[in-house]
Amino acid sequence: MDDRLLDLQNVSMAFGGLKVVDDLDLHVSRGEIVSVIGPNGAGKTTLFNLITGVYQPTGGDIVFDGKSIIGLEPHQITGRGIARTFQTLRLFLNMSVRENVMAAAYGHTKAGVFRSMLRTPGMRREEQEIRELAEKRLAFFGDRLMGYRWDQPAYSLSYANRRRLEIARATATNPTLLLLDEPAAGMNPKETQEITELIELLRTDGGYSILVIEHDMHVVEGISDRVVALDHGLKIAEGTFEEVATSPQVVEAYLGTGGMARK
Amino acid sequence: MSGGYDDELSRPVEGALEASTSEGPTSPAVGRDEWVARHGDNRTGRTGRIGTLEARLRVVPWWAWLTTFVALFCLVPVASDSGYVRRVAFDIAIYMLLALGLNVVVGWGGLLDLGYVAFFGIGAYAYALLSSEQYGVHLPTIVAIPLVVLIGATVGFLVGLPSRRLTGDYLAIVTLFFLQLFLTVTTNGDDLFGRNVTGGANGILNVDPLSIFDRELAVSREGGLFNPAYMYVVLALFVVVYVALRFVNLSRTGRAWRSLREDSLAAEVMGMPVNSLKLMSFAFGAAIAALSGTFVTALSASVFPLSFSFPLLIIIYTMVILGGAGSQPGVVLGAVLIGILLELLRDPGDSRVLFYSAIIVGVVAIFRFSVKLAVVVVGTFVFGFVVHSIAGAVDNAWVNGSGGEGGGVADFAANWVIVPVDVAAWITPVSYISLVALALVLTLVHGWVRIGLLIPVLYLAAFVWENVMLSKPEPTRYIILGVILIALMIFRPTGLLGEKRVEII
Amino acid sequence: MKEGRPGRFGRSPLFLLLTRFRARLAIRMDNFIQLTLNGLTLGSVYALIALGYSLVYGILKLLNFAHGDVFMVGTFIGFGAIQLLGGTVNPIVPVWALLILITLAAMAGCAALGVVVERFAYRPLRDAPRIAPLISALGVSFFIAYSMQLMFGAAPRNYDTFSLNGGALYTDGFDIGNVRVPMIRIITIVSAFVMMILLWMLVTRTRVGKAMRATSHDREAAAMMGIDIDRVIVFAFVLGSALAGAAGVLFALRIPTYATIGFLIGLKGFTAAVIGGIGSIPGAMAGGLVLGFAESYAQGYISTRWSDLLVFVLLILFLVFRPQGILGKADIRKV
Repeated sequence: MDDRLLDLQNVSMAFGGLKVVDDLDLHVSRGEIVSVIGPNGAGKTTLFNLITGVYQPTGGDIVFDGKSIIGLEPHQITGRGIARTFQTLRLFLNMSVRENVMAAAYGHTKAGVFRSMLRTPGMRREEQEIRELAEKRLAFFGDRLMGYRWDQPAYSLSYANRRRLEIARATATNPTLLLLDEPAAGMNPKETQEITELIELLRTDGGYSILVIEHDMHVVEGISDRVVALDHGLKIAEGTFEEVATSPQVVEAYLGTGGMARK
Repeated sequence: MSGGYDDELSRPVEGALEASTSEGPTSPAVGRDEWVARHGDNRTGRTGRIGTLEARLRVVPWWAWLTTFVALFCLVPVASDSGYVRRVAFDIAIYMLLALGLNVVVGWGGLLDLGYVAFFGIGAYAYALLSSEQYGVHLPTIVAIPLVVLIGATVGFLVGLPSRRLTGDYLAIVTLFFLQLFLTVTTNGDDLFGRNVTGGANGILNVDPLSIFDRELAVSREGGLFNPAYMYVVLALFVVVYVALRFVNLSRTGRAWRSLREDSLAAEVMGMPVNSLKLMSFAFGAAIAALSGTFVTALSASVFPLSFSFPLLIIIYTMVILGGAGSQPGVVLGAVLIGILLELLRDPGDSRVLFYSAIIVGVVAIFRFSVKLAVVVVGTFVFGFVVHSIAGAVDNAWVNGSGGEGGGVADFAANWVIVPVDVAAWITPVSYISLVALALVLTLVHGWVRIGLLIPVLYLAAFVWENVMLSKPEPTRYIILGVILIALMIFRPTGLLGEKRVEII
Repeated sequence: MKEGRPGRFGRSPLFLLLTRFRARLAIRMDNFIQLTLNGLTLGSVYALIALGYSLVYGILKLLNFAHGDVFMVGTFIGFGAIQLLGGTVNPIVPVWALLILITLAAMAGCAALGVVVERFAYRPLRDAPRIAPLISALGVSFFIAYSMQLMFGAAPRNYDTFSLNGGALYTDGFDIGNVRVPMIRIITIVSAFVMMILLWMLVTRTRVGKAMRATSHDREAAAMMGIDIDRVIVFAFVLGSALAGAAGVLFALRIPTYATIGFLIGLKGFTAAVIGGIGSIPGAMAGGLVLGFAESYAQGYISTRWSDLLVFVLLILFLVFRPQGILGKADIRKV
């Protein structure tokens, strides 16, 4: 496919002497959902950190939307249209649910601090837009994050709702590519089923291309157009879910670390 | 203008119930979340009369609070023509302004700025240099103040620059060092490359008073009383700063500040330019501190390096933490309370009354109205009188120390606490250290042992107060501030009105 | 006139210039040696303080602002111990015993103080956000400093070591060039280094040292490996505070002390720890010495008044260009 939104070319990352990501080629096309699987320590989260600019790769190039994003600050990369969630949930815990989402609109809004002090009409209009945007993003999850929850602090949310809020927050940056780091971790089967449908909905309704790290093979099977398997920073398999799941290298990588991890 | 935030609180929403039944685990995970939740419960779980009162008070809009508060404050010079009271009111107004500024950096930005007082000093010195004979420059106030604010913001920006790559602790040490540096430069600034810039330890004298449209605002009125107009000017600016900051806090900038306080990496990845936001909050705090500095210099017509030292920093931090970092009304309340407390502690009579009232309020607050309260109160009284009469019987000189000021409380104290005519040198450290040690032990024991121990500890506290602390108000004030800071962080980190916790990542 | 004849040359301008230069060089050399000596004395004290910061920071990631005040308490305990032992003019024990006893007293007293501070001001905040223990530490620092002022006044205290053995500590010693290296400086430097080496061995060679290093590497993992974290933390405070107490005595042997001295000294000690690489024990030693030399040379070659400025510039330079310090390792941002 030539309509590549994100294209990693020979990307490497080493901490000291340890190669965490090794000469990796990976791409996400527009409108595609790609899953990254692999045992713990395979370099999946490092991959996300490389794409979002938290780490600088030690080799290779990352091209997003036709331009290299190497060397950009994380917030600049977000401005280009990449948003992510965190495996370890990094919400702004003491801010309200709505404010969490509103805060993420910072990058594509303008009102300066002096205009805010004076509350100019333009600033107020923009503020109203941010608020509506946040409410729209929260409405995406049905009534789970609606109503009275808007004004509750984020720490009062349940674990599953925190995961949902992270996704809502990420979408408020108006991205074209969403990186979801284990969106189903810690969820019960019902919620997992829900999140599977939701990711599909994010593509169809939201129009996002999605790169997702996931351990739950049901989720991976349910959502992926393409699956990439990593082990020790190397790509060991790529293709449809069936192809990857039956690939001998993948089976060995998982069995070698104690069987198929299913959280 | 912010009505939308408050309205939502009380309105139940359809579907809320169903949504909450299908949740996974609702208790938060380990670590800091738990800490947050624990203290979160403290403030949301309020029921009963206090809870109702809280809910009622929450309906009052913020501007009504602000107007009432400022109106009452304006009445102080009307109600009292004592020069001392007016001067204290002015100082407290300055503290309020300073606390607002520090709240931007610490409360919203989550940056531990320990050089804050230096910016206050920079404002004071900048105004002095721009409006005195030091260089023969006499700028009109209307020009000088914006210039001072600009200078403060610029220096704040520069000092904040290293914070680009620094985490909280390092920033704290850099700013603390900056404060030390400021003191070094101002104290030795009478010979800066052979030129007298800051007047050294003698400071700069004969600084111009404020002027409004060429009319000078005399520092003192006839009779030597200082001009309350200065307090009104500061109050007016306080209102402007308060409202402006409130608006900023509710804008995208304010949200971004609070986001980076919560989790600076997440903020960065969510598209917020963390470094420039940090610098901005730093510059804001510095500008407000510098602004406050101008009025202090203008009113006292002089500026000295030692007015801007570490103790003042602790005073302002205590105000912000006590009131509740992150909450504007909180830090203002903190400024007023600590300002008054520090003044009361200056006067032996006032501080004595304050001490015994604080003990009584504290004991009642801990035990409520119960049998234990009765035991503690009666026990302490009896204990005191017994000890006092035994000591008096052995040697009258042991109990005949001066009673001093404080009205009835002083009379009571003279007949209850042992106050020797001469306090031997060893008594001071021994009694003080035992008091601290026993007070710490008190936090380790429980039940009736604690009550049994509390009685002698209370008596010992009174003894130390009467014999050691009363005659040394300066260290006593600072010791109390230190205790308040530690106790707040342990027992109520959100302060009195704080809704937010503060964190450095 | 013939050039090159000794007698003639003796009066020639060139010779005069040379001798003057040599004399000046000798003075410069003496000055340099003196400053180096000062730097070494000062630096060894800074290093001891920096070690306390590094030990605690390594394990708790806590900037213990109160450490400088623990140091100050050490200076006062030393002073009190001297008075108990009969003062410096007529001590009831030999000089060497006096010095050892006051150092031990300060170390013990400070260790106890450190444990109390940890137990009551920091432990309740172990799981709190980072800023909470920092503010608590500010409160502790303030509390200790002004408690001392309340009890003993604000006046400076002088150990008056000059009276010990009729000033022998200052007259004994050896010479480097024209510079006298007095006994008192030798004592300071040697005992500081002995203590640092002992600490180094303790941390690298013993079980508890290994536990400390494991805890500083990853507290939770260490706890899961069966290390008693509370004990390790208390131990770090004991060690750090005892070193601060020793540093206090060594410092106050020559320089008068007062109740609020801890602020500035603590600041310098922490700067030393940062320069060396916070959390690293050899780093703290190196940082202390670097800071001591920098301050001493700045005092000698630039100005006594502005030496703090240089220290500050040094701190900023390190923080901007090498935040991990001389011997620290670069941190990987964990996400």
